[in-house]
Amino acid sequence: MKQSRPFPTLITGMLILIIANLMFGAVSIPLNEILKGFQQGSDNYFTLHEYRLPRTLLAVLVGAMMALSGALVQGVIRNPLASPDVLGVSHGAGLAAVIYMTYFPASSIDWLPAVALVGGLLAALILWWLCGQSSSAIKLAITGVALAALYASGVDFLMLVKPLEINNALLWLTGSLWGRGWHQLMMILPWLLLIPVAFWLAKSLNLIHLGDDTAMSLGINANKLRLVSLAVAVGLTASCVAVCGPIGFLGLVAPHLTRKLVGGRHQTLLPATMLVGAILLLVADLVARTIDPPIELPAGLMTAIIGAPYFLWLLFRTK
Amino acid sequence: MTRFSSYVITCVVLLFSVITQATTVQDSKGTFTIDYQPKRIIVLEFSFADALAAVNVSPIGIADDKDPTRVLKDVRDIIGDWTSVGTRSQPSLEVIASLKPDLIIADIARHEAVYKDLQKIAPTLILPSRRETYEGSLKAAGIIGKVVGKDSAMQTRLQKHKTIMMELAKQLPHNAEVQFGVARDDALFLHTADSYAGGVIRALGLTNAETGRDDSAYRQTGLEQLVAINPEYLLIGHYVTPSIIDKWQNEPLWSVLKVARNKHLYKVNPNVWSKSRGIVAAERMGQDLIKILNAK
Repeated sequence: MKQSRPFPTLITGMLILIIANLMFGAVSIPLNEILKGFQQGSDNYFTLHEYRLPRTLLAVLVGAMMALSGALVQGVIRNPLASPDVLGVSHGAGLAAVIYMTYFPASSIDWLPAVALVGGLLAALILWWLCGQSSSAIKLAITGVALAALYASGVDFLMLVKPLEINNALLWLTGSLWGRGWHQLMMILPWLLLIPVAFWLAKSLNLIHLGDDTAMSLGINANKLRLVSLAVAVGLTASCVAVCGPIGFLGLVAPHLTRKLVGGRHQTLLPATMLVGAILLLVADLVARTIDPPIELPAGLMTAIIGAPYFLWLLFRTK
Repeated sequence: MTRFSSYVITCVVLLFSVITQATTVQDSKGTFTIDYQPKRIIVLEFSFADALAAVNVSPIGIADDKDPTRVLKDVRDIIGDWTSVGTRSQPSLEVIASLKPDLIIADIARHEAVYKDLQKIAPTLILPSRRETYEGSLKAAGIIGKVVGKDSAMQTRLQKHKTIMMELAKQLPHNAEVQFGVARDDALFLHTADSYAGGVIRALGLTNAETGRDDSAYRQTGLEQLVAINPEYLLIGHYVTPSIIDKWQNEPLWSVLKVARNKHLYKVNPNVWSKSRGIVAAERMGQDLIKILNAK
């Protein structure tokens, strides 16, 4: 089912969702009040300008970046079940964050994103050291999954040994947009530079899909391409996880849905998957905020609820 | 200058200094200053609601996990109705903003990440609540009293609290060993000597059980460890029924415990004993203990 004009539809959908995210929440704000709300001193200034707007923009960016990262990983690993999770980045970031929270409970929470970012990047470096420059896609994936499992067991161990900090740690590990604002948005911005790099790789990613040997005969250095793509994917994932926690399944589901919509040509797949990722996270956060106000559920819970069944369905379909 | 005009000036200056007198206290983030008496207060932990109730101040919003019964009945009776602002772990900043508060009281353990956002909504007093000791919670109540402009009322209330606790202590057997814990489906957490409940137990002239070297307020404990600790009295707040304690009672090892042999296992309300952590809660706990320890 390929849509003939996916981009206008996707962009319209995203814009509608952005407006919906600004309008709805624990307190609904009518459409005509929204523009007024951006003027300082107005009634809804805090809710709109300081809270919903940065949070919505963050959902767009994080959704797009996680999805793009997923598309890159699936592109070079050449496996539909691959996602940024197979690189162990989010688990590494999670382990670093949990260590920080359990062993330094008194230290400022402001440092948490930096700690998680370092953890995520370190996990990617470990994977690189283990696999070296020229390893096959499958070796990379299996090593990554094993490492991810190792980090996850580390997290479990810490939470069992130090059960006190479970609440905060679990909340962070689910991935949430709660309490994230302009400051976090600014932290994400520099990483947007990776997006043009990803687009620049698009053509080569199409070729590597034909297999390493064919790609090589067409003038592509498969190992180098893999390294650059994965490095970009790592940067995108690590920066998002650092700010929002590991929001599950986005990197897996978004590229998949997009491939169904626009096909596998990376020049269209990459931008389209960013839109789909943004839409998914916007929906997840909107639902998480409005399902039972004033209780706020973590957005990661919502993406997992959508993502896990989709993943199962995928497993059964993939023979 | 005539004498009359100098009187007038003195009076005006005095009046002015009274009106604009700013209160300054130390909170978990440094100095907190407020120069008016807050009328629209939002609290993000139960212990702060308890402190406000102690001086008859009603918050307009409480992070009550959307379950008003989690706030102590004695506290509810004093403060009346309020608006829920969501969970204590992730309170809804939109609802907080929509209530237009003029003071927010937050918990350093839970809300440090949104401290800056809260400050954009209203002046925010940030104090420890979670894992706070009994003495610490009384100190926090004293600070809250100053900030809401009820310093003398709070000091009187704290003094009265001391008297009440001493009266309660007189009615209790001296130095009886009492241990409190909360039981979930799969785990028992003992509240140690460093916890709020541990402090209240000591304040009532009772002793804490020796829970081993661990400086944390809440300690997860297995059945074998419980046998090693072997407290005289065991008070359990059940978060679920049947909890792990109900399951343990069918095990042979359970019968070794002093509490099993002397039938000194009691149920208490975990909302009072674990979640509230305030003045009113401590008095309620004292009354619970009188009922339990004097029932022969």
